[in-house]
Amino acid sequence: MEESSSSYPFDRAAFLQGIRDGIPLAIPAFPFGLVVGFAATQAPISALAGWSTSQIIFAGSAQLVALELFAAGTAGWLIVAAVFMINSRHLMYSAAMKSRIEGAPLWFRVIGGYVLMDQLFAIQDAWTEDPPLRFRIWHWLGCGALFWSQWQVGVLLGLSFGDAIPESWELTFVIPLMFGGLMILSIRNRPGLVAAVVGGTVTIALRGLPAGWGLLIGIIAGVTAGAIAEGRVSDKEATP
Amino acid sequence: MSVWLTIIVAGIATYLTRASFLLLGDRVTLPATVQRALRYVAPAAFAGIAIPAALGSDGIGGSIPPDARILAVALGILVAWRTKSVVACMAVGMVTLWFLQSVGL
Repeated sequence: MEESSSSYPFDRAAFLQGIRDGIPLAIPAFPFGLVVGFAATQAPISALAGWSTSQIIFAGSAQLVALELFAAGTAGWLIVAAVFMINSRHLMYSAAMKSRIEGAPLWFRVIGGYVLMDQLFAIQDAWTEDPPLRFRIWHWLGCGALFWSQWQVGVLLGLSFGDAIPESWELTFVIPLMFGGLMILSIRNRPGLVAAVVGGTVTIALRGLPAGWGLLIGIIAGVTAGAIAEGRVSDKEATP
Repeated sequence: MSVWLTIIVAGIATYLTRASFLLLGDRVTLPATVQRALRYVAPAAFAGIAIPAALGSDGIGGSIPPDARILAVALGILVAWRTKSVVACMAVGMVTLWFLQSVGL
């Protein structure tokens, strides 16, 4: 047991590279953190409870919805259900990362799971060839430390200064732009393109469902379509 | 449910979505076909987040006219495709949006 925590000692270079790789994707989270912090001031809960969502839930869009539901006087169990569904996409991130950290010790799985958010997944998934496990672990934790700290500061600033940035600047628009860029970078071949087209189309088609459902079903549909397309491509390649 | 209990249970629910498969450990292995299919989670998920957001159906930047937001995202995506840079995508998209706003579109 003690073997497991000592076999992956701190890798400073990997940790620092994780921070560096995270910075471009942490920038767009700043205006969004301000919005979430401001939403916390609008909800009928204490500032401490509002800020605590950043440590306890640590998921921007779900926090925003939870705070809006608190403000609307929604029952607690409905808030929990909404948060769970909006965050259900992480189940797919978790499944995708499972085989990429094979052999990782329990302590890493516990902490690494806590910080597995969208941008961290984008970075950790981008390696076409997996790095050595020790590097992977500390790079992941470097990314996680950056995104986590950035989020705490961003939401606290929003709580303290509210909507100090004029809304007409539309700074939160960097969020769709960031995901658009991540989408393009994650399309590495034709089956990837198929996965993106199907994932996007199905999610839009299901936008009438309660938040989170359409995206989860869209991801599953996109992944399935990508796998089928990959099968077709490799069949063609196998044919002389 | 009190505010604090709601936040804590919502936090546990969120943690379980993220840690779920990681905590299964190496005793449970996913079938090879599923593992290969899961390489398409990223394009499917990011398209599923980006495209509705670009079209304005998720409420972010709801006051931006549809034409302006679609043009800004389209230009950003084109730049991301050419440069392989998310930062360039964000910069071009925001500058495009501000330009369109300034000319009153």
